[in-house]
Amino acid sequence: MKHLRPVNKKAQRIDDLVTAAGEDVVALQNQNPAQRPHIPMGCTLAFSPGWEVDSAGGTAGLCQPVERDIYDCYVTCFWPAQVPDHLNNYPDWASKCASATKDWRHLDLVFP
Amino acid sequence: MKHLIVWLTLSCALCRGGTLFCGAYPDWVLVIDESKGKVTERIHMTTGLPRSLRLSPDRKTIFVSTNDHSGFEVIDVATHKITNQFVLDTPTHRYRINGGAPDPQGKVLYASTTEIVKEVDRYTIGKPKYSIIDLTEKKIVKSVDQPEQPAGGRGGGFGGGGFEVSPDGKYLYQFGAKVTVLNSSDFSEVEKIDLEISGMPAENLGLGGLIEALSDPTQRVSIFNFSDKIVHNRVFGLARFDLNTRKFDFTPIGPAPSSLGGLHVTPDKKMGYAVSINGEGGNQRCEFMGIDLTNSRMARTSEVPCRTRFSFGISADGKKLYMYGAGYEIDVYDAVTFKHEATWNLENDMTGSMVVLP
Repeated sequence: MKHLRPVNKKAQRIDDLVTAAGEDVVALQNQNPAQRPHIPMGCTLAFSPGWEVDSAGGTAGLCQPVERDIYDCYVTCFWPAQVPDHLNNYPDWASKCASATKDWRHLDLVFP
Repeated sequence: MKHLIVWLTLSCALCRGGTLFCGAYPDWVLVIDESKGKVTERIHMTTGLPRSLRLSPDRKTIFVSTNDHSGFEVIDVATHKITNQFVLDTPTHRYRINGGAPDPQGKVLYASTTEIVKEVDRYTIGKPKYSIIDLTEKKIVKSVDQPEQPAGGRGGGFGGGGFEVSPDGKYLYQFGAKVTVLNSSDFSEVEKIDLEISGMPAENLGLGGLIEALSDPTQRVSIFNFSDKIVHNRVFGLARFDLNTRKFDFTPIGPAPSSLGGLHVTPDKKMGYAVSINGEGGNQRCEFMGIDLTNSRMARTSEVPCRTRFSFGISADGKKLYMYGAGYEIDVYDAVTFKHEATWNLENDMTGSMVVLP
């Protein structure tokens, strides 16, 4: 019966009633989750240093300073910029850098 | 004179703080003296970056999972020496490990694993499995496919969550979107309980303990979210699980915030502390929550400035609260006043949750 559609107000009200019956009651305190950008795979889609954004598409969710976030990409894939794929190819890229905020210059550059 | 010596000895013993063990970049476990607020020793991980630490039930051993080659190292708490170490990766097979827990004898680890096989022309990523990792044989000795679970859990795999093991070793408790009780021998499901673990996702990756601050081996107490079936109103509260009998009781406390950091309990088990997070990005607000565990009610709260990402912990004597992670510093707060007291500089970026020992 999906090809049927209401053509007058009464039919529209009946249609709304049927639709509403299928919905659920939700407590007001339960807020809808905020709209987020759709990121199909990985941490980032483009290598564009300086344009990093957080998981909500903004910059307010990034750590301050942003270097604090670098290491988390390859543990939880949070960092939105590209880091070397340590799981398969570059396990030692951070072996000379104890603290990304202070020693980020010691992180290895990799050339795939 | 004799009284003076006794008094000095006693006061010295009383002033001695606990010890923190914390994974750090690039391949260290830091040993931190609480009384000094300084790193006193660095334990080198030959298998790579420590991802998470887990204390054994008898509190004599720390299991460390390392990230670079899916490795494990075992630290003897008394001597701070490595007693066992191995990696699971081979040139063609790699693993991602999540939500692990040791059995009561410390002979095996239960975990969620995903196998990545390097083929001639591609990588094949396997389905998440429940696995038993034998610490003597240094390999996975049994794997069972995980059933698909609703999203919302954590701890890897299909998001089923981290594990706890019953004291007799017969059951596994998986804390995710629901609490699932499994047979430890074959991972068959025994029971499902409608409670959702409330906690910051990053804390439960790897071998990180869910609620490690509670030392009672037969009972687990933590903050859970519960949603009623009529209007799906989410409330958080305290749930106490008896790991032997699989019985639990739940006491609601209040409306569930967006996120709630795991409960940490004082040694006398009278107070528990957690961090609630509401809002996102620049609107993120954090609050310390002091919960009276005797009466299961909120005792005090206070807003605190929090990092975008952080872990939460408590000192061995229960008098200090720690906020750390995403960097090289530990922010120290007083557990009674919730006032900031100090910032400890460790010089190395930290990973995962730390283990606190008296």
